[in-house]
This record gives sequence, structure tokens and C-alpha cells, in this order.
Amino acid sequence: MSDNQAPQAPKALRGIGNYIDDRFHLAKTAEKNLRKVFPNHWSFMLGEIALYSFIILLLTGVFLTLWFNPSMSHTVYEGSYERLRGVEMSEAYASTLHITFDVRGGLLVRQIHHWAALIFVASLVVHMLRVFFTGAFRKPREINWLIGVAIFSIAIVEGLFGYSLPDDLPSGMGVRIFQGVLLAIPVIGTYLSFFMFGGEFPGEAIIPRLYMLHILLLPGILLALIAAHFIILWYQKHTQYPGPRRTEKQVIGTPMFPGFALKAGGFFFFTFAAITGLSAFVQINPIHLFGPFTPTSITSGLQPDWYMGFLEGSLRLFPDWFDFDIGGYAVVTGVLVPGLGFMGLLFGGLAIYPFLEAWITGDKRAHNIADRPRNVPVRTGLGAAGITFYGVLWLAGSNDILSHTFQISLFATTWIFRIALIVGPILAFIITKRICLGLQRRDRATLEHGYESGTITQLPGGEFIEVHKESSPETVEVLQSAKYQGFRTVPPTVDANGVESPAARGFLGKLRIRLAHWYTKDNVSFEDVVPHSALHGEQRTEEKAGQH
Amino acid sequence: MTDNTNHNDADKSRERVIGTPTSEGATLATAEDAPHRRHEGPYPAEETHVRPEEVQRRGERMASLWFLVAFLAGIGFFVSYFMFPANSDGTPSIADPETAQWANMLLGGTLALALFSIGAGMTVWVRRVLPHYEVSSPYDELPSSEEEKSSFSEFFMRGAQESGILKRPLLRRTLLLAMVPLGLAPVVLLRDMGPLPGDKLKRTIWRDGTYLVVEGTNRRIRAEDLVPGSMISVLPEPDDPEHGLSMNDQAEAVTILIKMDPKDFGPGMSQQQLEWTHDGIVAYSKVCTHVGCPAALYEQTTHRILCPCHQSTFDAANGAAVVFGPAHRPLPQLPIRVDEEGYLVAAGDFSAPVGPTFWDAGVED
Amino acid sequence: MKWITARRRHPLAGYVVVIVALAFLGVGYAFISPTSNHAVADTVAAEQGEVDIANGKQIYTQSCMSCHGEDGKGRTKEETGSAVAWGPSLEGVGAAAVDFYVRTGRMPSADPNVQMPRRPQVYSDQEIADLAAYVESAFGGGPGIPYDVPGDAPQRGEFGSDAEYEAALAEYEKNYAAYVGGGDVETGMRLYLTNCAHCHSWSGAGGALTDGRWAPELDEASPRDIYEAMIVGPGAMPVFNDDTISPEDKQALISFVKNLQDEPNAGGPFSLDRVGQVAEGFIGWTIGISLIVACAIWITAKQRAHD
Repeated sequence: MSDNQAPQAPKALRGIGNYIDDRFHLAKTAEKNLRKVFPNHWSFMLGEIALYSFIILLLTGVFLTLWFNPSMSHTVYEGSYERLRGVEMSEAYASTLHITFDVRGGLLVRQIHHWAALIFVASLVVHMLRVFFTGAFRKPREINWLIGVAIFSIAIVEGLFGYSLPDDLPSGMGVRIFQGVLLAIPVIGTYLSFFMFGGEFPGEAIIPRLYMLHILLLPGILLALIAAHFIILWYQKHTQYPGPRRTEKQVIGTPMFPGFALKAGGFFFFTFAAITGLSAFVQINPIHLFGPFTPTSITSGLQPDWYMGFLEGSLRLFPDWFDFDIGGYAVVTGVLVPGLGFMGLLFGGLAIYPFLEAWITGDKRAHNIADRPRNVPVRTGLGAAGITFYGVLWLAGSNDILSHTFQISLFATTWIFRIALIVGPILAFIITKRICLGLQRRDRATLEHGYESGTITQLPGGEFIEVHKESSPETVEVLQSAKYQGFRTVPPTVDANGVESPAARGFLGKLRIRLAHWYTKDNVSFEDVVPHSALHGEQRTEEKAGQH
Repeated sequence: MTDNTNHNDADKSRERVIGTPTSEGATLATAEDAPHRRHEGPYPAEETHVRPEEVQRRGERMASLWFLVAFLAGIGFFVSYFMFPANSDGTPSIADPETAQWANMLLGGTLALALFSIGAGMTVWVRRVLPHYEVSSPYDELPSSEEEKSSFSEFFMRGAQESGILKRPLLRRTLLLAMVPLGLAPVVLLRDMGPLPGDKLKRTIWRDGTYLVVEGTNRRIRAEDLVPGSMISVLPEPDDPEHGLSMNDQAEAVTILIKMDPKDFGPGMSQQQLEWTHDGIVAYSKVCTHVGCPAALYEQTTHRILCPCHQSTFDAANGAAVVFGPAHRPLPQLPIRVDEEGYLVAAGDFSAPVGPTFWDAGVED
Repeated sequence: MKWITARRRHPLAGYVVVIVALAFLGVGYAFISPTSNHAVADTVAAEQGEVDIANGKQIYTQSCMSCHGEDGKGRTKEETGSAVAWGPSLEGVGAAAVDFYVRTGRMPSADPNVQMPRRPQVYSDQEIADLAAYVESAFGGGPGIPYDVPGDAPQRGEFGSDAEYEAALAEYEKNYAAYVGGGDVETGMRLYLTNCAHCHSWSGAGGALTDGRWAPELDEASPRDIYEAMIVGPGAMPVFNDDTISPEDKQALISFVKNLQDEPNAGGPFSLDRVGQVAEGFIGWTIGISLIVACAIWITAKQRAHD
């Protein structure tokens, strides 16, 4: 105990280590990587939820393929499930019934697969929001953001195709809507549809083809993208929140070995446990109750899985007012704009945002300290507006359920959502920005005055004041980060000689200057703030803090 | 609480590169019970904080308890698996939904408990037994130095020069030319994925004289079978009753038959459209012209046909014109008449292409 | 309270509050979404018994005439002078319509302008039979009451002794089982999915119509209720008479509905009311993601250096 000697590695382990190292020269690399530091914060674990649910999806998916038969040829069900015996259905549906009622644990694994898919996409969204609001997409991490957007978009398509495979009533309708959107594409729509479906809808080709995409091509691409995402993260190291010793130059956290490996391992089990727990007790997608797909039937309350909800909602909200003909040829904007346009808007907007923001602010520096959302009010406001836009579309995707549950007229819900889709994001932007600025003022006040201790004391003059105390060094550090985050970036429009600077010339240059001004003009200045400089006489400076 | 991530604030400005020898201060106090003990961990003592042995021991016991729970739950998983037979010969079997629910709950519950306990055990382990860690590590300077960059650039351009790709354009251009057909090959190979649409989307299997039959029972319908206010989903009578209609034929031919008081027909019905009805019986395609869901939600009081997918609403009394929602075209109407025995038959194909509107839907071939 | 006061500034306190709130949300949801299988509560039918048309006329005069008129031709708002006292003509509606509306408690209605939900029935089965007979004889016949289709289960209160009640109940259950056990599954499923599910949903949970109307859920509906609804076409619902869907086909359809509703949920005790994807997404976000995030908070929570 008293010496600093590390224990000798066991002989077997040493043997294996040497065997590998003799061939790959890994000792130094391995040590460097096992020393990799990961900052601690729960919001930094959100991406891991996605990674782990993806692993669960791969494991359970392989299990399901052992029995699933992706065929649309007709069969009469003669399996163990009594209620549907003698019913005509596709092989795909019959084999899904087989997994449910003839394979022990099959139902559980199918439910785990479905819940994991919902959690996978949901965790992608929360992870992406965390990255967005903390500005972790900025240089040098823009490429990883783009990969993330690609993962998100492919995951949605992957989910839609998986949902379609069992060939039950709602899943077949999902395919039908997919085909309807394909048909609406000008000029080539009918060709695309005929190639995709091997002829007319539904044909007998679509499920085998979707199956190939669902289990081979798309997961392959996802796996490659996730690997790339992870390698880049590993290479660039994780961002961290502001705090003592945490700088742009060094990261503070738990090293990979042994601490973080144990934490991440434990978290994998937690994720798996939560998904399994849901699958054990909450029924999901009971295809045996829905009945097999027929192209002639439909059910009310028909919904896709939640991540397709925003598309469903946009198809419901977008009116037919803008449909037009060119020489008799139809341009179906009522399908094209919500079916493809909104999707393009979402993913295009996400993909372009880091570059747009960098262009506006002219910020070319590398960032390793995550922003506090309040310190970048415009970005936070835009994010809130985006969430509202998405949320309204998502809610609109269930307007029939809302109408039925709350007894509102169906057409009224459509109109409410149409208006909310335009007004909601604007309001969300304004309100969020205001809240951010208010928080900035409070931060500045806390920084100067310390925090309110809750103790009231009487001054000799007879007046009562609340005693303010010094914040902890960590709090001070966090609050002071606003100095660097909310900085004003409006570049000078004229240089020292009074000549218009090149960057400010032309339409784009002027637009950029205006945008940059808009981006930061309302920020509360922290530049001249000295921590705890106004610890005494709080009441007099209370008002000053609001000015800037 | 917030200031104890590093108990030694004096060190906080210090920056140290991982891998360099620890400073002289490595003998700093790390645990109350052994203030002068030398640090044994892989990371510098002033950044990791070893827990007292007592805490570690308690943590060990707690984590082991979780692992034991996980073990027992894992055994429970196997028990649950063999408790419920798979085939229907034995009772209770998982083919019975109630048994299936029990089997699913027990299998899933034990598995979830086992997984959670392992996670909990590992978390207790890392939080109680391991030292408390917050170590530092530098972010790498990502851009290469100017020297490295220019060295690479020089090397690369010399190589490119040597290869001749810069100064021998014939080589470069013929290679690109050679790639073009190969690049197009995959596109050509996909040609046989499906037939060309032709006019397939514009016609259905309805012909003059095809009997309308109730979907699901294949019963022919007489005009007097329907009373005002009734509705029924119909299909063309299959030529081969043994095999019925193919899915493709059903998907395009499915029709809703509605009977209303003939006085209810509104001005939206043209003379032609009225001729296509019979005694207040009117037939429309069931496939929504928006994106193709079966639109069959018929309200006999308002004569509205609503599509449950995206709520396109059509007025059955006015030629199925769109009255709300995203659809653009009316539902195509199927001309009907009665044959000599009084059965309803089609008088031809639909008035327009059925299903979602496509590029040349409105163009006659 | 001291305990809370001491810990409310703990760094984890905020998380704990969030988790507790989410847990309440989840548990609350589980409570407000009751499981199906409400007991069918109603009275035993006065099946094929004697009817007293005079009594029926008296009930009509007391409870129906003010809106439907003495001659059964219905009255408009102008005629009654009240926005909530008017009613459609009852000419030719038949006994089944009376039985359906009155036995499901939808009539008498206080406000004909809104859709009536299912309520406990106001009149006894005998009174309803009398009323139906009167309406049929006075205003012309429509479809009759399908007495061979099982209606509501007998209630204890209608019988003098336990033995009589149990005998009636056993008889009812035998008839019920025989009725819903018959009928071709595939025909029933096909007919239901193609003609009914677009309003009443695949599970019979109902759905939204236009102008605030809705298609009611079928959970509480007895086989006879469903049968009568098809031949009567109440409210906005279209008619499916016995010529388009024969009585045997209707039996198959009703069997499908009832067997589907009675089937336990193989996937788990929480069926989310069989609402489907919307509820699943909601649970995935509220319970799934928050459980996992709670674990992440535990793993990464700050610790004292020496504790």
C-alpha cells in the first residue's frame, strides 16, 4: 500500500496484450484513448440513448428475421392464434402472427423492437435539441452535425419502412400514403411509383423491397454514419459546459478507463431495461388485433408512428388552394408541399443552420465550451420557433383524435392548427427571446450582487434590506461565460480610412450586417462586470443592472 | 455543493498535460484516514479523490446486492420461458392472448429487472467504490501548423505533377469519358424494377354490365335492396369466383354505393352525372383523390364523404365535389344502371382516373 | 417539512421534482384512461311478451309528442317556438328505431341540436316495448326489433330470487355465447373493416365526424344495439339493411366486433385504450425518455469529493 507500484498484469492478459501489440503496435494508442476524458452532465448522455437503442434494434431485428417472411403472396392462416384462423392474408402478416403466438418471447422481442424504434428517434431529437441550443454544432463540429442530420432523416425513413412490413391494416395505409406522395411528383411520379411497387399499388413487390431496405441498406448506412459520428466525437473530444478550470483549451471530466466505461456500460443496461420494461407492460402496435391489410378498408384514428406525425399533420393542414395545371398536367401542391416540401424544410434548415449562423456572426473560431442557451437569445428563440412549428404539425397529425376526445368540430381543429402553425412560431420566438434576455439580466445582477440569501436585516437607518451573499466560484465562472458567448459581432462597416469595408458591400454584405446586428443587438452587456463588485448597497444598484 | 468538484482550489489554474510526471505534490491528502499515503491510481491524485475504505466497502456490498438481484431475475427469465409452452397442444399456451399477456409480462418483467439491476450495480460501483474523478485533458489544436500544411501541399502537388494528370489532358479527359457509361449502368439496370405506367392508372376493371357485389360477401345487389340513407362498399363481381379479385383490382375498383332521396341531389350534379345514377343510387370511387386512402366515412344527414386519413371531405349529393380538406379532384363517379333482372350493374368505367392525382391524370390519351 | 426544507437546495432537488411530476403525469394518465370491458348494465328484455299499446301511447304523449308531434310527423323549431324542442318525423321508422334510441338512453333528449351520448335507459324494457308497438302501429312500420339477437344482460333487481336471476343470466349467457360464437370470422372482419371501421375505428373505439359529431364507441353496445343501429341508421350513420348485409352476415360482423373487444391484450396489461400510435408516442416520450434520462441524471450527478 505504501509504494506507488501498480499491480502486475495477470499472465493471461499480458499474453493477449502482447499478442495484439506485436501485430498492431497499440500500447501507446490504447493508453491515449483509454485516458480520453468525457465531461459529466446528464444532457451529454442523450446521444448515448440513441446509440444504445440502435444496438437493441440491431439485436432484436436479427431475432425477428429468423421467422419473418417478407412475402405478399396469399395464404390462409392456419396457425395457433384462434381468432384469425381461416382468414386470407399475406405471408408477411401470417409470419408476424407466428412470431407473436408461436415463438416464445417473440411478442416481447417484437415489442422491444418497436419501442426501441420510438425511443431511438425520440432520443435523436432530444440529443439534437441539446446540441442545437448549446451551440455544440459550431466549428469544429459542423461536419458531425451534418452526419447527425443525415442519421435523423434516414432513421425516420427506416422507421416508416419497418412499420410497413407486417402488412397489417394501418401499415398498408402508410404504404398507400407513401405511394400517393410519389404519384404527385411532376412528370416522373407515376414512373417512380411503378418502379418502386413493380407495377400498380399494392402489387406483390413492395414488402420484399422495403424489407431489403429496412434490414440491409438503411441499417448499413446508419451503422456507417453512427460510426463516423462517434469517431469524430472521439477525435475532437466532447464539448463541456462552462465552469472552473473548464476552458477552450482543456476538458474536465471522467476518463474513459475505468470510470466512464463503467458509467456508459451501466447506462446501456438502464436504456435496455427501460425499453424492455415498456415492452413487458405496455402493448404496442398489436397487429394481430388490427387485422390484415386490404386496399379497400380503413380505420378512423389512423396514425403513423410519432416521428411521421409531423408529415401526417402537414398533409392534413395544407389546403388544396395552390394546386394548378400546366396545359392540363397537374401540379399537386396540396401533396407536394406538405409531403416533400416540409420534410425538405426541416432537414434542409437543420443542415444549413451552422453555416448560416457562422456567416451571420462572422465567427470563425473553434468552440469547445457549450453556450448557455440564454446567452444566445436569437438562436434559442429560433430553436423554440422550430420546435413550435414541428409540434403544431405533429399535433395536427392527430387532430381527429383530439377532435373526438375533446369534442371540437373536426374542421375547426384544422383551422386552429393552420393559424397556430403561422402564429405559434412567431410568438414562441418573441417569448423565448424575452425570457432569455430576462435571464441574462438576472445573471448580471447575481454576478454583481451575489445571490439573495433570504436573510432580511435592518440597517442603522431603519430600512430593511435582504442580505446578498457571494456566489460560489463555480457559479461565478458559469455566469461570466456570458462575456464570451453573447458577444456582439457586428463587423465594422467602414475601415479606419472611412472606406466601406469589402464585407459590407453589395446586397449580401448589407443583409449580413443587418442580420448580425439583429442577432446580438439585445444582449445584456457583461463586459464591464466585476463579480461581487456591488455586494453591498444592493438596493441602489438593482435598477442599474437592468441598464446596459 | 457546487464548489467541491475540486477540493483543492489552489490548483485550479494549473494546466497539465496527461502523461507528464506528476508534480511533487503527489502526496497531497486524498483520504482522511490516510493523509500521507501515496496515490495509487492511474490519474493524478489531486484530480481524483479516493473514497474512505468504509464508503467503498458499503458501495461494494450495495453493488453486489444489485448484481445478485440481476442474477435471480435472470433465473426468473428462464423459468418464465419454460413455464409457457409454445404450441397449442398444451394448455396454457402462448397462442391464447391472456396467457400470452402473462408470458410477455413475466419474460419482459424479469428481463427488465435483470438489466436494470446490472445497470444500478454498475452505477453504485462507479459512484461508491471508484475514486471521485474529474480529471483534465487538453483539447487538441485541430489545424495543422503552417509548416505541416505547406509541406503537405508541396508534396501533393509534386505527386500530382509526376502523375501527369495536370499536364496530360487527354489522359484525364478520356478517363472521365470512360467513367460516364459505367456511372449510368446502375440506373439502366434498375429499369426492370417495374413496368411503365402507360394508361394503367386511368382505367379500372369496371366494364359496362359488370355486376356490383357487396364487398366481403360477393352478393349481387338489387336497386330496391337499398333504402334511402344506406351505404355499402362494393366491388365488381369477379370473373373467377374461386379466386376472387386480385389486390390490385380491388385497390382500383373499390366503390361506395350510396342511396339518397333523388330530391337531395344538388346543383353540383351535371345532367350526365344524374344519368349515371339510378333512382337516387350513386356510386363513387372509394379511393381518395388526395393520397389514396379509402374515403368512406359517409354521413347520411349531410351527404358528406370524409376521408379519415387527412379529412378531405366530398359532397356525395353534388358529384363528390371537395368541400373541405387537402384533396383537389372530386371522387370519380361510376355510371350505374340496372339489368333486366333488377340487379345493379356498371354502365362503364369511372368518369376520371381513380386514386391520388398524378401528373397526367387530367390528360386524355 | 424540515426534511424537505433541508434538501430543497440540494443540486438534485430540481431533478427530483421533475421526475415526481412526470411520474404523476404517467400515473394520472393510467387512471384517466380506464380499461375496456365495462359491465353491460341494463335490464332484462321483455322479449316477445305481451305489449300494451295503450300504455305506449301514454308514454308517447308524455315524453315524445312535444317534439315529434301528435301525428308523428315531427315538428320544426318554428312550430314549437323553441330552439330545443323540435324533432324529426317518426313515420315509417319502425319499432327497432324506438327500441334503439330509447334503450340506449339517447331518447328522450333534452336538446335535439346536439348528438346524444349513450345514457342509462329511462324506461323499463316493457315500457319501451309498449312504446315501440305504439309507434309502429300509429305511424307505420319499419324494421322490427330483432329479438333473437342478444340484448343487455339481465339485472338482479328484476328478479324476485337469486335462483331466478341466475337462471336468467345463465340463459342469457348461453344465447350470447352462441350468437357471438357463430358467424364466419373472415366475412365479419371484411364487412366491419370495409363498412364500419372508417368511423368506429378498428377497435370499436369510435372516431370524429364533421361539425363536432362523432361515431360512438362500441364497447358498451350489446349485439342487439349494433344490429339495430345497422338497420335503423341513427343520426349521421348510414343504413345497412338486411338486404345488403343479411342477418347471418350481421351476426358474423357483430361476432367479429365482440370477440375483438373481449380479447385480452396479449402485448401487456396497459393497452392504452387501443388508441394506437398517438398514445404509444406519448408514452414513449413521457415515460420512456424520462425514465432513461432519470438514469442518466443518477449516473452523472455531482458528488462530494469525500462522502
